[in-house]
Amino acid sequence: MSAPSAPLLELRGLTMRFGGLVAVLDLDLAVYPGEIVGLIGPNGAGKTTVFNCISRFYTPVGGEILFDGQPMTRIPAYQVVRRGIARTFQNVELCRSMTTLDNLLVGQHATKPGGLLGDGLRLPGARRREAKAVAWAEEILALLDLTPYRDRVVAGLPFGVQKRVELARALVSRPRLLLLDEPAAGADTHETAELTGLIRRLREQFDVSILLVEHDMAVVMGLCQRIAVLDFGRKIAEGTPAEVRSHPAVIEAYLGEKV
Amino acid sequence: MAWLTTLPWGQLIINGIALGSLYALTAFGIVLIYKTTDVLTFGQGELAMFSAFIAFTLLDRLKLPFPVAFVLTLVFALGLGAVVERVLMRRAQQGSILNSIIVTIGLALVLVGMAGFIWGYEVRPFPDPVTGPPFLFRVSPTQNLVLTQLSAVILAVTLVLMLLLFAFFRFSLVGIAMRAVAQNRVAARLMGIPVDRINALGWGVGAALGAVTGMLIAPTNSLFPNMMGDVAIKAYAGAVLGGITSLPGAVVGGLLLGIIDSVAGFQAPELRTTIAFTLLVIVLVIRPAGLLGRREIKKV
Amino acid sequence: MRQSLFPHPKSLLLVLAAALLPPLLGVIPGIPVGYVLYLVCLALIYAIVALGLNLLIGYAGQFSLGHAGFLAIGAYASAVLTQRFGWPFLLALPMAGLLTAAVGFLLGLPALRLSGPYLALVTLGFGLSIPQLVLWRGELTGGAGGLRDLPPASVLGLELRSESAYYYLVFLVIVALTLFARNVVQSHTGRAFIAIRDSEIAAQAMGVNLTRYKTTAFALSAFYAGVAGSLYAHLIRFISPESFTVILSVEFLTMIVVGGLGSVSGSIVGALFLTALPEVFARLPVLKDFKNLFIVVFGAVLILTILFFPRGLAGAWSTRTRPIPPPAEPAARPQEAV
Repeated sequence: MSAPSAPLLELRGLTMRFGGLVAVLDLDLAVYPGEIVGLIGPNGAGKTTVFNCISRFYTPVGGEILFDGQPMTRIPAYQVVRRGIARTFQNVELCRSMTTLDNLLVGQHATKPGGLLGDGLRLPGARRREAKAVAWAEEILALLDLTPYRDRVVAGLPFGVQKRVELARALVSRPRLLLLDEPAAGADTHETAELTGLIRRLREQFDVSILLVEHDMAVVMGLCQRIAVLDFGRKIAEGTPAEVRSHPAVIEAYLGEKV
Repeated sequence: MAWLTTLPWGQLIINGIALGSLYALTAFGIVLIYKTTDVLTFGQGELAMFSAFIAFTLLDRLKLPFPVAFVLTLVFALGLGAVVERVLMRRAQQGSILNSIIVTIGLALVLVGMAGFIWGYEVRPFPDPVTGPPFLFRVSPTQNLVLTQLSAVILAVTLVLMLLLFAFFRFSLVGIAMRAVAQNRVAARLMGIPVDRINALGWGVGAALGAVTGMLIAPTNSLFPNMMGDVAIKAYAGAVLGGITSLPGAVVGGLLLGIIDSVAGFQAPELRTTIAFTLLVIVLVIRPAGLLGRREIKKV
Repeated sequence: MRQSLFPHPKSLLLVLAAALLPPLLGVIPGIPVGYVLYLVCLALIYAIVALGLNLLIGYAGQFSLGHAGFLAIGAYASAVLTQRFGWPFLLALPMAGLLTAAVGFLLGLPALRLSGPYLALVTLGFGLSIPQLVLWRGELTGGAGGLRDLPPASVLGLELRSESAYYYLVFLVIVALTLFARNVVQSHTGRAFIAIRDSEIAAQAMGVNLTRYKTTAFALSAFYAGVAGSLYAHLIRFISPESFTVILSVEFLTMIVVGGLGSVSGSIVGALFLTALPEVFARLPVLKDFKNLFIVVFGAVLILTILFFPRGLAGAWSTRTRPIPPPAEPAARPQEAV
């Protein structure tokens, strides 16, 4: 193991079933502070299901999820971000009618609390929080080169920009762990290279750990210290990029695909 | 709770089933339209009422025999439904689900207003398709249970239609295509299913079911623009209670509501609707997708 | 940026013009000032309901076909408190709002588990049940005969018997509630509403507690209707179950659709427009013989608005509304995900 400290995120025997279909079976996985861990596998291997269990959209039928040593298998979905876990989605889940800035303000919902009366009467406390939230959102926008889209409604933005807005929205909550679901989907070679650099930079700058689901092997191999491979919901291999690449079970699972 | 044992349960349940089959019958059109086009229509009762007025005109003004008027009304309703889909719904469905619901509410208002304008607001009798003495069931020397012939016909039509529609969706190619369209519009289109035509058909058949409903309910409730008001609302409740996509669910939900209505109406007539909806809310909180419906999980 | 009380000079002008309405009407000869002011009051009261309904539907993306029920609760609460228990109007008005908000909160609870057709039906049932409950508790509510001769509104001992005095009362209330609504939708709470409307998944992932914000939206929306109910009761000074039918709930829905879903100003414009419409039609030479014409007009206006101006009247003059965008992917019915 590269990191001697306690894991930030730990999955113990995570199991998820839909009806009779086993989506994830007895999965053990840990992400240590500062790490970028890759989760790969063929389509339908259960990668997104793992994310949805961590985000608490699904309640696993077995196993445990620990974050920072605290169990979070039973907390409601909206408390996940309060614990310090933010995520992006494979097909982008933005608030489509809002502007980019407003999406980043919603992204701070958990970190900048407020109440109906304070909001409606525009009390000084609410105004102060609002001003702070806008300033922080603008900082993140600038960092991700999104400032030109600040007041544009996101539904009209190109897919690649929407993905970046979503990344910004995750970052704006100051997470300690980022779950990125296929951040490079739909990007060309040039954009992919840029994205890889960006993710590395964000890890440094925000001191955030990352769990990454990605189909683009160049991205995964280039970014991750450790990779876990899922096939039919089971972990068939785990190790450094080099180890995983030469693992016979992985080659079999990806039969025909170049790893 | 002494009143529980003193109620004339047998007759109340028979009345409830007779009433509930009206609800179930109306619910079929709602379920069919929801199944094929994913729209909850609030215009079904009004489509039924309007069709009943057409039938009335054919029977009363043109003196056509009942079977001819019946078939012509069905054809009219089929066309009306298809036109509604083509002109209104196809465009409305490009927006959010709310848009479609609102357009059907608008449709209901326009149909009621037009019926009032054309035929007026007075309450008219509608010819009974069946005549004859009611069925009597002797349960004790002093007590008979009564079921009118019309109620028996309505119940029979409801059950036959349920079986026919069920078989249609299960076995016929068009029915399977309708289900496919409701499941996933894009995939269905890619598979070569003519989605627009299927939607128009869904509305056409839904309206025709409404016409059958209207012609069977008008003899009981008489004919006037608001004749479907309470029935339509209970039919929505029945459809939703049963699970909105399930035809057997519509029958179960409709009959259940009929029985609740009948018992509650006997015990506390002024709170009939309140009691029905309170029970509905309780059921939905326990089973949010209705009695026979399946819960949908959104994929992310 | 969004801090001043009236961000646009235009809206300030509008408010000033509205404040001068009664004297302005007085100088135009031939106008039945009292009746026109009465109508304007009624339209503004409906506008308060529409504001609340738009917060619920246009912003939080929930649904209600039962807002006439909330209006009824507010009206009866205020009527009973002032007439039977002798409360001063100025206390009964907010109390009517709070009581109705509590009922709205309760109705929001089943709404947590329900959406789409299920929610539409439950709210419809609520709207149908309230008049029945009013009839049932006749000794308190006056039953079918209603409550008559309600005490006129009074503010600090000053009875508001004239239409123009009442107009100023309604006017102050609606200005306050409009500002409150506008502040809410541009804030933390309002963004949580819109996030729920746009994507419950995203909202939860951002930390929005669906339970809290959906019930808040229902309670807030009901509060507006409750306050409107109180104002309604003391304007007409007679209420009966027949004043609060489902048709009225549909009228409220029409107002916000026509005015513009997700638009604060649109709610008011929609309410004014649809209150004026039947009055105008009833005076047109041919159409006035057409009984219940307003039903057809409402229906047609609803349909035409959705088909041709999905953003409502507000969409025509403002870019500040938030149209509900079509779903990201053409509605695929969700399957169980792997």
